[in-house]
Amino acid sequence: EKWAATAPRIPATRLALHHFDTNYSLQLRERWPAMRASLLCEQKYGALVNNFACADHVAQELELHNATDFVSEAAKKAQSLLQGSAAEAEKGESTSQDGPGGGRTVTQAGTSPLPPAPVSSNIKCYTFPRGDITRFRPAWPDTLGLLSYYLMDAASLLPVLALNVQPDDFVLDLCAAPGGKTLALLQTGACGHLAANDVSTSRTKRLYQILNSYVPKNVRETVRVTSYDGRDWAELEGGTFHKVLVDVPCTTDRHSVMETDNNIFHRRRTKERQMLPMLQLQLLMAGILATKPGGDVVYSTCSLSPLQNEYVIERAIEIAETQFNIMTHAEDLSHFRMLFQDTFSFSSDCRLGELVLPHLTANFGPMYFCKLRRA
Amino acid sequence: LAASGPGLCPRRGCAPEEAAGEAEAALLALGFSRAQARRLRGLQPRLGPRRAAAAAEQLLLLGLSAEAALGLLERSPELLRAAEAQLKERAEYLRRLGLGGGHLQRVAGRCPQVFTLPRRRMEAAVRVLREKCLFTAEQLTEVLQSCPGVLLEEPGSLQYHFQYAYFRMGVRQKEMVKARLFRTPFAELRNRHIFLERRGLYQTPLKGQTQTNNPKLKEVLHLPEKEFLANLARATPEEYEVFKKLLAREEEEEEEKEEEEEEE
Ligand SMILES: C[S@@+](CC[C@H](N)C(=O)[O-])C[C@H]1O[C@@H](n2cnc3c(N)ncnc32)[C@H](O)[C@@H]1O
Repeated sequence: EKWAATAPRIPATRLALHHFDTNYSLQLRERWPAMRASLLCEQKYGALVNNFACADHVAQELELHNATDFVSEAAKKAQSLLQGSAAEAEKGESTSQDGPGGGRTVTQAGTSPLPPAPVSSNIKCYTFPRGDITRFRPAWPDTLGLLSYYLMDAASLLPVLALNVQPDDFVLDLCAAPGGKTLALLQTGACGHLAANDVSTSRTKRLYQILNSYVPKNVRETVRVTSYDGRDWAELEGGTFHKVLVDVPCTTDRHSVMETDNNIFHRRRTKERQMLPMLQLQLLMAGILATKPGGDVVYSTCSLSPLQNEYVIERAIEIAETQFNIMTHAEDLSHFRMLFQDTFSFSSDCRLGELVLPHLTANFGPMYFCKLRRA
Repeated sequence: LAASGPGLCPRRGCAPEEAAGEAEAALLALGFSRAQARRLRGLQPRLGPRRAAAAAEQLLLLGLSAEAALGLLERSPELLRAAEAQLKERAEYLRRLGLGGGHLQRVAGRCPQVFTLPRRRMEAAVRVLREKCLFTAEQLTEVLQSCPGVLLEEPGSLQYHFQYAYFRMGVRQKEMVKARLFRTPFAELRNRHIFLERRGLYQTPLKGQTQTNNPKLKEVLHLPEKEFLANLARATPEEYEVFKKLLAREEEEEEEKEEEEEEE
């Protein structure tokens, strides 16, 4: 290539951008410029409220600055949609009673195909409205020293919400560090047991720090933090978890175009980068195997690349069936798109799972997530 | 002694009414109507009628019509305070820069401050354009004719404006002249350019590269915002609004960081 002669001096962020320009402009076509600009501008955060901190005034303070809890808003929306469709179903039945024979089919086609699953969790996360670029001030400690909220990409909560932890579920967070999603899982207050694993010991240190700053000792002690290679997990304990989160290492698109530190597009990491889809597939397989029959796996990345998203899912479903005789199916999460569209911009052409697209007016993501149910 | 008594114009030793009458006669002779002469007298009455008449006369000499001269003095009363000699000197200087005839009128109308600002400032701006930006004499004249406001610019920011277009955007002097670069405020130039750049629609040309797919500077600068967004950036007004806010904050923080580093 033309610039090969001066290659060593090209920073990794430029290489990343070049790579994305080449690939995403083909994939996303005229939508790529908007996403490109968003990735290159300051991202938006969400404030995940720490339910363990005694901070009643936190919500008030956030609302004073115009932030809203997008999780409870989606829950409200789900509730009203449920009531709406219940009312509609009643209406449908009455019309089918006095209508002619074909009434029932008409009714079924008329109501929404699936009533949206209610978003029930204790998770609260505040964001500023679309187009508002206000930043959250740093979190502050309560009287016991626990911090009031955790700032993270609000779209990172979607995989956790999709996991839909139920009381006493055994939960595995296979690639957990630095621990944003682990913390969100704990906020549900439902985990019967939580295993948080990450192969990197330096990154698990950050996970410990987060647990120390946000979670009281008695809860902290119920979390089992380990540093295994996630790919080996099934050999250790297969089929034991109700819910498994597989938040894999990926090209971290936003990070890669903005930060030179720890950049996967650095030349000496080319091999590692090319091996990512394989590693992702292996981690997802381990996640599927760690799940109990009837349990759920949520797979997530912060990349726009279908090679790291849908393709990995498809391959995993296939391998689970052919090599392990395990049937899984990808759940329809389109109701997420409907419930959260005020906060996030979703892609409309994901074959499997959902993808949050960065947009200047709602600069979250990218965040891909897909839920598999093990039969 | 009696001549300097109260109620008398000290220098010429004539009564104020007399001076006013004299000035009005002069104005009428120059082609002002009575009504115009009255408006002129109403401007800064403390400066005396003679001053106003002298300033008006100078402006007529620059080629302004009576009404244009009056309008200008009404909008920029500081011109009244400029000494007659200064106006004359300045007009001479502007003519030498190629701003004679109709140009002088336009300059006077659009940026009357060229008559009141210290000449050194303008000379510095011209020097930057010639010596730092390397505009040819002809290009310089064209720049001054199309964007006389450059004369009022602080030389440092003028140079920065130029360098941004030259190095960051890869635009040559000839194109800058054609696009009337300096008419667009720098902040707007940067907003539009960086917006296009982040969207992947503008690239800094590599060294030695002459052909690019970049839009012409003229298009970037002169399309009304709506068209700029619809045809060039292909973005919504909402996106651009947010972008401008974010970029302004980036800039601000960049500057703060630099200041901190300087302090260290
Ligand atoms: C996207 S990050 C996880 C972010 C985390 N879930 C959160 O929300 O804060 C991916 C993580 O996978 C870890 N990882 C990479 N390879 C792994 C492996 N083979 N087994 C387990 N974890 C691995 C990395 O150390 C990294 O911390």
